[in-house]
Amino acid sequence: MKKKILGFFLAVAALLIPGTLLAQNVGRVSGTVSDPHGNTVLGAAVLVTGSNKYAITDENGAWAIEGVASDATLSVSCLGYEDATLAVNGRAVIDIVLQESSFMLEETVAIGYGRMKKSDLTGSVASLDPENLVSKPSNSIENLMQGRVAGVQITNNSQEPGAASIVRVRGNSSMNGSNAPLLVVDGFPFGDAGNLAQINPQDIVSMEVLKDASASAIYGSRGANGVILITTTKASANKTSISVRQQTTLSQMTSELDLWHDPVLMAITQNESKINAGLTPQYVGAVNANGIYYPSIEELQTTWTTNTRWEDIVLRDVPVSNNTTVQVRSSNDKTNFVASANYYRNNGVFVDDYYQKFGGKFSVDQKIYPNFTLKLGANVVSGVRNYNPGRSFNRNPIFPVYDDEGNYWLYSASDYYHPVALKELSTNVTKGTDVIANAGVEWRMFDGFTLTSQFNFKHGETVQDVYNPNVYSETGNFNNGYGKIANWQDNNMVVDVYGTYDKVLAEKHHVTAMLGYSYENYQSRSSDLTGVEFVNEALGNENLQAGNPELYRIGNGLSKSELVSGLMRLNYGYDNRYLFTFTSRADGSSKFGVNEKWAFFPSGAFSWNAHNESFLKDVKAINTLKFRASYGVSGNQGISPYQTLSRFGQHKYYYNGSWMTAIGPGYKSGTTGEGGIYAVWSGIANENLKWESTTQLDFGVDVSLFGNRLNLTVDVYDKVTDDLLRERNIAPSSGFDRMWVNDGKIQNRGVEATLDGIIYSSKDWKVGATAVFSCNRNKVLSLGNAKEAGLMTDDRTGMQYEYYGNSLGQYRGYTNILAIDKPMFVFYGYKVDGIVQALDEGLSAGLTGSDAEPGEFKYVDVDGSGTVDEDDRCIIGDPNPDFLASLNFDVVWKNLDFSIFFNGVFGNDVINTQRFGQPSNNPLRWTTDNPTNKYPKLRDDRQVKFSDWWIEDGSFVRIQTVALGYTLPLRKRLSFMESVRFYVNIDNLYTFTKFTGYDPEVSALGIYSGGYPRLRRWTFGIDFNF
Amino acid sequence: MIAAMKNKITALIFAAILFAGCSLEEYPYGFYSERNYYKTTADAEAATLYIYDAINYIEYSRAIVFLGGMNTDELDPKGDATPSTKDLDAWSQNNFRSNTTLGNFFKYSYITINRANAVIKHVPSMNIDAGIRNRFTGEAYFMRAYSYFNLARNFGRVPIHMSMVSRLEDTQAGLPENLDEMWGYIISDLEDAIELLPYYAKPEPGRVDKAAAQAFLAKAYLYLASAKAYGVPQYSEMSFSVDDYYAKAAQYAGEVVDNPEQKTYGFDPDLMHIYDVDYPDGPEHIFIMSMDRTGETEGQYSKISKMYIPYISGGTVYLKQGDSDKMIATHDGWSEYKTNITFYNSYAAGDLRKDWLICKEVYDASGAVVAAYPGSLSYPFCRKYVDPGFNGDKTSTKPYLLRYSDVALMYAEAAGPTAKAYELVNYIRNRAGLGDLTPGLSVADFRAAVIRERVYELAFEGNITYDLRRTGRLHTVTAVQEQGITEEADVLFYPIPSIETDLNPNIK
Repeated sequence: MKKKILGFFLAVAALLIPGTLLAQNVGRVSGTVSDPHGNTVLGAAVLVTGSNKYAITDENGAWAIEGVASDATLSVSCLGYEDATLAVNGRAVIDIVLQESSFMLEETVAIGYGRMKKSDLTGSVASLDPENLVSKPSNSIENLMQGRVAGVQITNNSQEPGAASIVRVRGNSSMNGSNAPLLVVDGFPFGDAGNLAQINPQDIVSMEVLKDASASAIYGSRGANGVILITTTKASANKTSISVRQQTTLSQMTSELDLWHDPVLMAITQNESKINAGLTPQYVGAVNANGIYYPSIEELQTTWTTNTRWEDIVLRDVPVSNNTTVQVRSSNDKTNFVASANYYRNNGVFVDDYYQKFGGKFSVDQKIYPNFTLKLGANVVSGVRNYNPGRSFNRNPIFPVYDDEGNYWLYSASDYYHPVALKELSTNVTKGTDVIANAGVEWRMFDGFTLTSQFNFKHGETVQDVYNPNVYSETGNFNNGYGKIANWQDNNMVVDVYGTYDKVLAEKHHVTAMLGYSYENYQSRSSDLTGVEFVNEALGNENLQAGNPELYRIGNGLSKSELVSGLMRLNYGYDNRYLFTFTSRADGSSKFGVNEKWAFFPSGAFSWNAHNESFLKDVKAINTLKFRASYGVSGNQGISPYQTLSRFGQHKYYYNGSWMTAIGPGYKSGTTGEGGIYAVWSGIANENLKWESTTQLDFGVDVSLFGNRLNLTVDVYDKVTDDLLRERNIAPSSGFDRMWVNDGKIQNRGVEATLDGIIYSSKDWKVGATAVFSCNRNKVLSLGNAKEAGLMTDDRTGMQYEYYGNSLGQYRGYTNILAIDKPMFVFYGYKVDGIVQALDEGLSAGLTGSDAEPGEFKYVDVDGSGTVDEDDRCIIGDPNPDFLASLNFDVVWKNLDFSIFFNGVFGNDVINTQRFGQPSNNPLRWTTDNPTNKYPKLRDDRQVKFSDWWIEDGSFVRIQTVALGYTLPLRKRLSFMESVRFYVNIDNLYTFTKFTGYDPEVSALGIYSGGYPRLRRWTFGIDFNF
Repeated sequence: MIAAMKNKITALIFAAILFAGCSLEEYPYGFYSERNYYKTTADAEAATLYIYDAINYIEYSRAIVFLGGMNTDELDPKGDATPSTKDLDAWSQNNFRSNTTLGNFFKYSYITINRANAVIKHVPSMNIDAGIRNRFTGEAYFMRAYSYFNLARNFGRVPIHMSMVSRLEDTQAGLPENLDEMWGYIISDLEDAIELLPYYAKPEPGRVDKAAAQAFLAKAYLYLASAKAYGVPQYSEMSFSVDDYYAKAAQYAGEVVDNPEQKTYGFDPDLMHIYDVDYPDGPEHIFIMSMDRTGETEGQYSKISKMYIPYISGGTVYLKQGDSDKMIATHDGWSEYKTNITFYNSYAAGDLRKDWLICKEVYDASGAVVAAYPGSLSYPFCRKYVDPGFNGDKTSTKPYLLRYSDVALMYAEAAGPTAKAYELVNYIRNRAGLGDLTPGLSVADFRAAVIRERVYELAFEGNITYDLRRTGRLHTVTAVQEQGITEEADVLFYPIPSIETDLNPNIK
């Protein structure tokens, strides 16, 4: 049909042209501009070359210019169309047909410093349309990406209001640097992905994830963890639309809290635990050293009436959250305008605990000249996090909230967890504001060449107000009241200039070249003011001067870094069949050591569009068959400013009744040991400190079949990260502990696949499905020089390792290690073979002392030495999943739409630290009457060793989202309104898992520490589109 | 028009590039380094205080007792103590090279040394008042000697750093040839310190003066003299003469306890007053750690009290003050330094250092007993470190590094049974409610009696282990015997931590 129209049009045009051949020196020239389908083109610029005469076509595609020489040349340009140049040749009426530019013909994707046709891609780039994700409210887009992109693992392990997500692209590859991908919003590098609170997810129109080296190398020393490019919304051509979106979310816990509701059972087990440890039981009907009367078990059974339901006091009944967005978008031939406002409030499960923010955004693209567009944008977000520290819903139920005089009832002078006291007396509020502004130009200087320049600025600041009351909080009690104001602000400025040349030469040679420059300046400052020893606490931290004047504490800091970069990308395509890309970036960073200021990151890729070969062209079933290969290097900066400089330390020393400043060699750069109680001393310079570099090889295939109804993308990759940033030990006789060096190697290999297809479609029906699969194998290849790194050796296997993460108080030791030839973060500990049933059995198992007694864990003497000791530890679990998989179904029937999304993580181990010691499992304890092999006896002073007894399978499949929506089209009935959409979204409907804790979705180290059950969120939404 | 625009834009872009043009050199912000420091008197003082600051960290301050008492029959660890503590207590020597406490003590000794070396490097050439300059430099020499002294007693020969470390290349110092060389550095530094330091007009808690340097030089001479006299392995091969060193010990101790010019320190007649946290400037305290409950972090304030006190339900309890009716409050503790019951029972009857300074009962505010030993108080605990003005866990407890009574006993031991020696020992015994020492003892018996007196006078102050070491009796400790060790040579020194031997190729 379209071809016929085009043919007709061309015929008419051909007839008209000869008729306009009139010799004329100077005169009026007019005509129309249309596309090959005969549709008129609005807003095309017709320019008389070499003059400043031009015209813009109107809605009929018509244009006219006075005083045009008959031998003049016209150049015509319009967004979305190929430029055209033609001679006037004395004509007075010229009707011009513009060819659609390749950009309009096919979906383009952002690739960093430019966009590209999807079919021209050579690297591994995943695109995501967030439209379907925003039917539930979220603080940040990352949260919503979970399970949607192959090769990207999103972990939402915290349910706190405003909490960040953990984002990993193709596994973890750094020990000490960041493992989060770089987040780039409309060309502006924001930093680590995880909590993009500044951008309302509903303002995002597309997202791309750059996964392989060919794609991410353009971000050089920040590209190693992958890059997420976010593009915010623009108005559709020549359209004004207003939408109002309202979401209300009700949350409920998916399971019961694990609490003592039977005080008698609680008391029996607690007494038993004390007695088994040789201590005096508490529930004996006596006053303890703090003057607290603990009833006997008999009293609890009979006369004791207090049974406080702390959870009813501490938790909200139903946390209700809200998300409202108003968006205005409008465009005409010159201007594209978007304004958007958002109010978001997320109420946490604890009373008075919430996060809320207001956001406003606008952007204008103004075509000042036909080939020159100015882009301006601004974004302001202001958020408040009110943290309620009164969270102890697991307090002893036999005690009341208040004593007889109405004071908060405390166990002892060091009872710092009274939830009502903390809620009422303490303050912990963080207010933040972010302002983002950008200005840019896009200048099409001549045919095929565009110069783009962008200036971005981001200012962020937070102010935290803290008051910790005397008596009821630890810090407050230690300081007789503790008030603090902490300020933080950062400024980030980025200037990019790059030129792009894009031309098809001799029909078959498509060349795109981009050459650019980028400068980034980042600075953050902080200051804090602390007052202690308040005479009167009524003002909280409002008046810090009311504290003891001799003990005012102040602190300030500044961190500054600069990055200068040169970038380049060359694409060459031959006949749409063979595509080559070469990308490189040179980064110079102030953070690197003086001898290593500049880094160079090259990459190359090749792809073959087999479907364009003659032998496949006629195979109707195959729409796309594309093979890709890429190889390259990208980096991870990881270093903080000033880490390469030598520096002195500073401390306060009490002398002659006052605090004096003390300064000298060695500064405390961190802490170590259980609970971080030991200082780490640094200060020796490393002038050779540099980035981590990741070399990645990727092979991929893209297949589309049956009229693009079935699409499959598969990638395999092998990436090796070298020069890992780590701290090496220094001989302690130097007076220093550590210094930063580049030493170590980690590998990630994997396969990822996305399959989506339209299962059924008809006039009224559309059924589609998307399956995403990711599988990553992580392996530590080297941890650096064993002695310098202080690696330990497993005597039995010779495995070299070091501890990772924090020592867990419960086990008085570390649980995770980095070990050579093993995945990162594997669990290292003892094995348990049931429970000791008789002393002889315990002793013969190699246990000693009280550990050998009946009811104790029967640790396995793995090395057969006859005693259970540290040498019996071995790798007992792996928190890395075997694979991730998700499945989404969409069903549309007329105006009704339904989707269900399953998200699964498989084969990961989780340490369930709550497997014993909780109300639900304590009663299952070993006793002489219940000689179970599953649980040990209760014993207060047991030194629990970390063992596989605590490890559970963390696999789960979650019905992550179920959404049902109805769109009511109103255009026919109401002139002012397009449509109304109603929907319900159930987040986290149900989880299938063998894990016995609340929820197995935990951080990368695989440590589950209780908390509260995962929330099921019911979102009721209504969208008005005008 | 577009051409004009073109020029403007080009200009703008170039401006942007120029604006952006920068060197990538990094300038430190907000911290000092060797190049911008050591200018003023205040700089020199802050640098000197930074030396003392190092020993306040819990890695060191707690280790003083772990290495000076926990490894003997004076103290026991709690049941679920950390493995490093249990190993030290039980003399499980296999893990000593990686023992956290030993490693920390070793490391912080050197952090102190490096800070002292920084002062010794820079301060003498600073253009400041000579008296002040000498004092600061003298303090640095003292602290360097103090650290090497403690290293030598525990580890024997250790790497010697006599200049400040600022580059990786400086971090691999070798060992001295023998113990003579090792102790030579200590004696020489203390001699320099004595030369440079004044006597303070009154005690300055947290800093040392000439008296401290003299006392420590006496301590060093006495340590060596007694070690050789008692035939302790390795020490007995040292080249000095025992009598000469006893004489020098007596001489330098005498400069403190028998010297009219030294008016700053003396005996505190009131036993309880010595341990009153509010009087760190009492006459007894020649060297005391300086901590205060108004500090921000542990080390600035002290939690040492909680190491000694048992866990008593997390509450506030009260203690009786000597034989008075006065009661003082204290927080409860962590039961980390548990009094060994045999040791507790070994005090002579009527020794007030047991009856008053070791608590076997705690009370509530009204004076009623809330816990007692034996019973719900798990052990009788040392109360030398109690701070009644505690804020939560924060206290002003200041560990005792050198008391006048220690110097008096050192003098007595070195000088032998002289009248002055008897006078000093008897003062200490009488203050503790005991009668005079048997008169007319032989030199050997007198010295043994003084060393025995030290056990009780300096109990829980990180002393007993070193008296056992220098008299060749560490192998008699119950835990050592339980390990089947019968030779003093086998417990003579702790091994140098493996982290040092792994990273320092010059130790072999």
